[in-house]
Amino acid sequence: MRSALILTVLFGCACPLMADDAKQRGEELFEKQIRPVLLKHCASCHSDTAQAKGKLKGGLNLDHAKAWTVGGDSGPAIVAKKPNESLLYQTLLYDGDTKMPPNGKLDDATLSAFKTWIELGSPDPRVSTLSKKQLGLSLEAGREFWAYRPLTKPIVPTANDPSWNTNTIDRFVSAGLQKQKMIPAPQASREVLARRLYFDLTGLPPTPEQLMAFINDKRTDATERLVDELLKSPDFGLRWGRHWLDVARYGESLTLRGFLLKNAWRYRDYVIEQFQEDRPFDQFIREQIAGDLLPHTSPEQRSRQLTATSFLALGNTNLEEQDKKLLQMDVVDEQLDVITKGFLAQTVTCARCHDHKFDPIPTKDYYALAGILRNSKSMNHANVSNGIEVPLPINSTLEATIKQGEQKIASLEKELKQLQGSTTLTKKVLSINEVAGIVVDDSAAKKVGTWQMSTSTGTYIGAGYLHDGNEGKGDKSLTFMADLPTAGKYEVRLAYSHSASRSTAVPVSVFSADGETTIAVDMTKAPGLEGRYVSLGVFRFEKSGQSFVIVDTKGTKGHVTADAVVFVPLDDVETKKKPVVISSEKDGSTSKIKTMEAELKVLKAKLPLRPTVHSVLEEAKPEDVKIHIRGSVNNLGALAPRAGLQVFSGHSLEAIPAGQSGRLQLANWIASKNNPLTSRVIVNRTWHWLLGQGLVRTVDNFGTTGEKPSHPEMLEALAQQFIDDGWSIKKLVRSIVLSKTYQQASRFDGLAQSEKLDPENRFLSRANSKRLDAEVIRDAILHVAGNTQPNPTGPTFPASLNSDFGYKATDKVRSVYLPAFRNSPPEFLEAFDLADANFVVGARNTATVAQQALLMMNSPFVLSQAEVAAASLTKLNLPTEASINRVCLQCLGRPPTSSEAKILKLAIADGMTWAAIYHVHLASAEFRTLE
Amino acid sequence: MLFPITRRQWLSSTGCGFGALALSALAQATPKVVPLQAKVPHHPARAKRIIFLFMQGGVSHVDSFDYKPRLTKDDGKQMPFDDARILANSGTRGSNQRVMKPLWKFDQYGESGRWASSLFPEMNKHVDELCFLHGLHTEGVAHGPATLFLHCGNTTQARPSFGSWVQYGLGTENENLPGFVSIAPSAGNGGARNYGNAFLPAVYQGTALGRAGGLASENTIKHLDSTLSESDRLKRFELLRDLHKEQLAVRPNDSSYEAVAESYELARRMQKNAPDVLDLSRETETTKKMYGIGEKTTDSFGRQCLMARRMCEAGVRFVQVNYGDNTANPAWDQHSNLIKHGDHAMAVDRPIAGLMQDLKQRGLLDDTIVWWGGEFGRTPYAEKNGTGRDHNPGGFTMWVAGGGFKKAFAFGETDEFGHMAVRDKVHLHDLHATLLHQLGLNHEKLSYKYAGRDFRLTDVHGRVVEEVLAKKS
Repeated sequence: MRSALILTVLFGCACPLMADDAKQRGEELFEKQIRPVLLKHCASCHSDTAQAKGKLKGGLNLDHAKAWTVGGDSGPAIVAKKPNESLLYQTLLYDGDTKMPPNGKLDDATLSAFKTWIELGSPDPRVSTLSKKQLGLSLEAGREFWAYRPLTKPIVPTANDPSWNTNTIDRFVSAGLQKQKMIPAPQASREVLARRLYFDLTGLPPTPEQLMAFINDKRTDATERLVDELLKSPDFGLRWGRHWLDVARYGESLTLRGFLLKNAWRYRDYVIEQFQEDRPFDQFIREQIAGDLLPHTSPEQRSRQLTATSFLALGNTNLEEQDKKLLQMDVVDEQLDVITKGFLAQTVTCARCHDHKFDPIPTKDYYALAGILRNSKSMNHANVSNGIEVPLPINSTLEATIKQGEQKIASLEKELKQLQGSTTLTKKVLSINEVAGIVVDDSAAKKVGTWQMSTSTGTYIGAGYLHDGNEGKGDKSLTFMADLPTAGKYEVRLAYSHSASRSTAVPVSVFSADGETTIAVDMTKAPGLEGRYVSLGVFRFEKSGQSFVIVDTKGTKGHVTADAVVFVPLDDVETKKKPVVISSEKDGSTSKIKTMEAELKVLKAKLPLRPTVHSVLEEAKPEDVKIHIRGSVNNLGALAPRAGLQVFSGHSLEAIPAGQSGRLQLANWIASKNNPLTSRVIVNRTWHWLLGQGLVRTVDNFGTTGEKPSHPEMLEALAQQFIDDGWSIKKLVRSIVLSKTYQQASRFDGLAQSEKLDPENRFLSRANSKRLDAEVIRDAILHVAGNTQPNPTGPTFPASLNSDFGYKATDKVRSVYLPAFRNSPPEFLEAFDLADANFVVGARNTATVAQQALLMMNSPFVLSQAEVAAASLTKLNLPTEASINRVCLQCLGRPPTSSEAKILKLAIADGMTWAAIYHVHLASAEFRTLE
Repeated sequence: MLFPITRRQWLSSTGCGFGALALSALAQATPKVVPLQAKVPHHPARAKRIIFLFMQGGVSHVDSFDYKPRLTKDDGKQMPFDDARILANSGTRGSNQRVMKPLWKFDQYGESGRWASSLFPEMNKHVDELCFLHGLHTEGVAHGPATLFLHCGNTTQARPSFGSWVQYGLGTENENLPGFVSIAPSAGNGGARNYGNAFLPAVYQGTALGRAGGLASENTIKHLDSTLSESDRLKRFELLRDLHKEQLAVRPNDSSYEAVAESYELARRMQKNAPDVLDLSRETETTKKMYGIGEKTTDSFGRQCLMARRMCEAGVRFVQVNYGDNTANPAWDQHSNLIKHGDHAMAVDRPIAGLMQDLKQRGLLDDTIVWWGGEFGRTPYAEKNGTGRDHNPGGFTMWVAGGGFKKAFAFGETDEFGHMAVRDKVHLHDLHATLLHQLGLNHEKLSYKYAGRDFRLTDVHGRVVEEVLAKKS
């Protein structure tokens, strides 16, 4: 050891003596052979010019020694004098994952020139013209940015107008308007206010009776009474729960393959209940991020907290990504995105590949946070990975029933297995017709290579079985292709002939709708099922999808045999029409087996299901992750110890105890009054949901590329008040809707002047008129028609559903209860910009497209609801004028103008039906607009 | 289909994407932004539109257009290959695989003497019009990721699809029709995301006509028709127009009310015009025959191809014609029983040749790009020593024709087995960049700000493959 070290040192010392000569030769070589190649093949992506244009690839600049010594994202490009350790040379050799230049390998002469040049110390006479520019805001500068500064208690200004001096909101808004020399809009009329409050708080329009009751309520606190009533209404939870589901990118299926998230509804119901019960929002945050790790005092609380963590598990994951390391980091990225955008309005995930280009978020912070989530297991990996489902606590009676059933099943299964193993077949040869299920005999298999038929062991289906003669290994295979009558689940069995001369590990692959699964079959052992079959497992098959089994010979030692492959349908009993006469034998064990199998099936069907939720699990050995250079799972840099964002001064993550992931600490760090963003962000979201635009209009982005607040101090005061009020959403909503600011008119005499002075209404000089959300429009149509179904409890799609492809929801339930399928969103909601369940959606799009007009004019849904509404109206037997009045009150929240009444009366006289009258009102612009 | 939304909505719908500065700058500087109006491209365009013939599941290039004599010579031999699936799963290189020869005989076709197999006899008659890209490579080993990558340039995350970017960049030529259409798309492997707008404004989303596996009669725009009689429809439309006049009278210049009212006018015009475009019965028998319409094997895909041509004539920018299904292993996915490729070829060969001939006859091929291919190719060796081939994202072939691409040309090479692209490689990012280039769009400038950063179809990659572009005449 020591001598090696000395040698190296000596060698190192010897070098400078030769340096001049080497340098000269190297420079010559560089000018003749290296520089032209760099220019021709590399410069477009790896030069000062490329860097100046922002087109530098992999962060690597090859224009001068200083740049390539530091290297790119993968580190130094050249290790002095060691071509074989130099990334540049390896890349040119086309040896590793990265192969350069991309258009083809350089010729051997050039490669050897590079090798020599590096051996000569890679002298490079060029110098740079660039200076390195720092990316993003520095941490120091970031701490001064408004959103990252700790909350303070700002002084609330005084309004000149005493009627605007009664609450915090109005005082700030009024003071702002005074500064701009602007006046607020007049207060909205009673009918406009009623429609606004009903829609904003419950997502439904007022009925004519409710509307008139409010208009006629002359008490001074009439509005407060209405607001309190609406806050208590169960419809509040449905409306506001849906707001949060937008943020939580709630979906009940995955895009790929239409996989269903069968228990996602529990999370939806949890969210609805959360807003209805108005539990503290900070606790809501903690539960969603780390509910599984929180203490609990009752099974109900445990259930609720576990259900909350579905928040982490409902992302639109690409489970069939084959690179599982990448898949894992993609899932972490998705979780981090929904957490940081949802609660903190930060675009942290921009820092996955490089330091954030605008915000003070270095890549190290990304991996510090990612490390926390990386320690929570979100999937079990397979060809198509599976999400995690966790059982919910159940009461002791149900627990006992399930345990008893499970024990019974287990003992029966054990018995059955023994019996199957010991069964001696008397009828060793079966015809294909005697076998239940879909049989693919070896005679029908596609053979590759030479296979010999044999009957020598005497047990087989059909005319015999095949073997490979124990030769030509890897050149032979058998493919058993089944034409399955229906889609669904099948048990796949392989019949083979066993003996000591067989292979102990025959690779048998099943190709199903879930991809391919390879099982090693030991053919020296007797098959466990009826002495004839081995079960390859239960698989899902699609109609006209792949359904075949390949018996390969690759890598086998000993004979490989195959007799038949049988697909036994599990879903549909009808297809098992063939008689189940299999092997008749002396002791009658086969019929006993059949009886037991039937019994087992009944027991399994009767066993109550354990309720589960989509969730995550803690990894056994939590650890930090390394920075992934340029986001690559194969290019790791320095360790990033788990932590929060560095830009928050004085608010860091509490220490993570050994053996813990840090998720609980992350939850506490976010749900804290000391986190400068959390309370600001949810207050701003609430403001947006009520007033149509946030104080910060980029509700999901409080970074430097987002907007700054129009009323920063008011936002701060409200955030502080929200914390002081125990993180109560209802109290916040109440204080906003009872302000004069919220109750302004959107349409009034001075509107044109107001729009001129405040074109984007940043000073809140009036109310914004809003396009109703998709769900609200649909619910309002159903409400007008009086045609809603009661709110469902439990799952909202049939348990038998296999995928969401082509699913058509026809229920008349409130829209929040329609299955939130990513491949087949309800058509009506899709047309009116429902939230995209791939993203955190704090602000809905509101496009106006012709597809909406076609839908409103022609869809059977709208036409039929208009008919239902008309039928109810006719039953009331009102005179024409009163009927017209009622239609307008129901649909528009106001009586008709005299000229409207005239037009409608004429239309009726002209033979227009009441259904048609409803139809045009539902289709009109005013129906879908909230003033 | 999609109505040009007004400035105010445009701004509010993109509010999240724009920074404060950009927002107010736009508000002041632009009198009226009409997103779907035809826009000026970045540079003069060589093509106005694209028809993408999507062969879902992955056609085997070594059995169709990439001639590799070594596969026949070494048929049955075990040789080491870097299998993409094994590599992704375990990082193992050089696993032994049994080479499998092409099942269709290769021969030379056309004046150019292009090698092609007998799999697509009708397409082979047009080789002198085609520009083959033999050195393609892509991302994603499984169908889902690779299909999303082909359409949206990303294997996992939701991104706008190619057609949405085209609409965003160029607007529409015909306001009475959607500008981006996908005929009979699959619900699987990304489904609607493959023609989705993701975070671009909804006006740029693709419109699906029908669905994979559906009837030809379903390939139409939804709700063009209703159970009401035309006279009832007209009466209601006129009453609605009257009510809108009343609602607008008390809201002078309210752009959102105007937009809704206008959307009904547009929908009404679409109801009149779109059925004509979608109505194939207006075509002559000769034309229909050219596409194989009326014959069992080719009728379905033939109708889709003919509809694509009619859409192009009517000004649709991007038409995707899908040959696929809704399963997890779609149409061309022959992991086993490769001979089944022949059935699929039968179904698409004549319709595609018919489309080529028809476009040529009508002079449409000059400014229309026809783009043919699947999400990846297939391995030159047998999967599990069986009778099929596995996925191969490392090297495969697509062809493009018309729209300023070189004719009778082939670019790029795979290795001598057809496994990995080795020379003049073209990544799908590069092909995306090149296709956009031909439409007059610079893939580096065609960006959209979302969640605080600029997004592009080609992310930070992509190179315009100048080598395959015809000299401007």
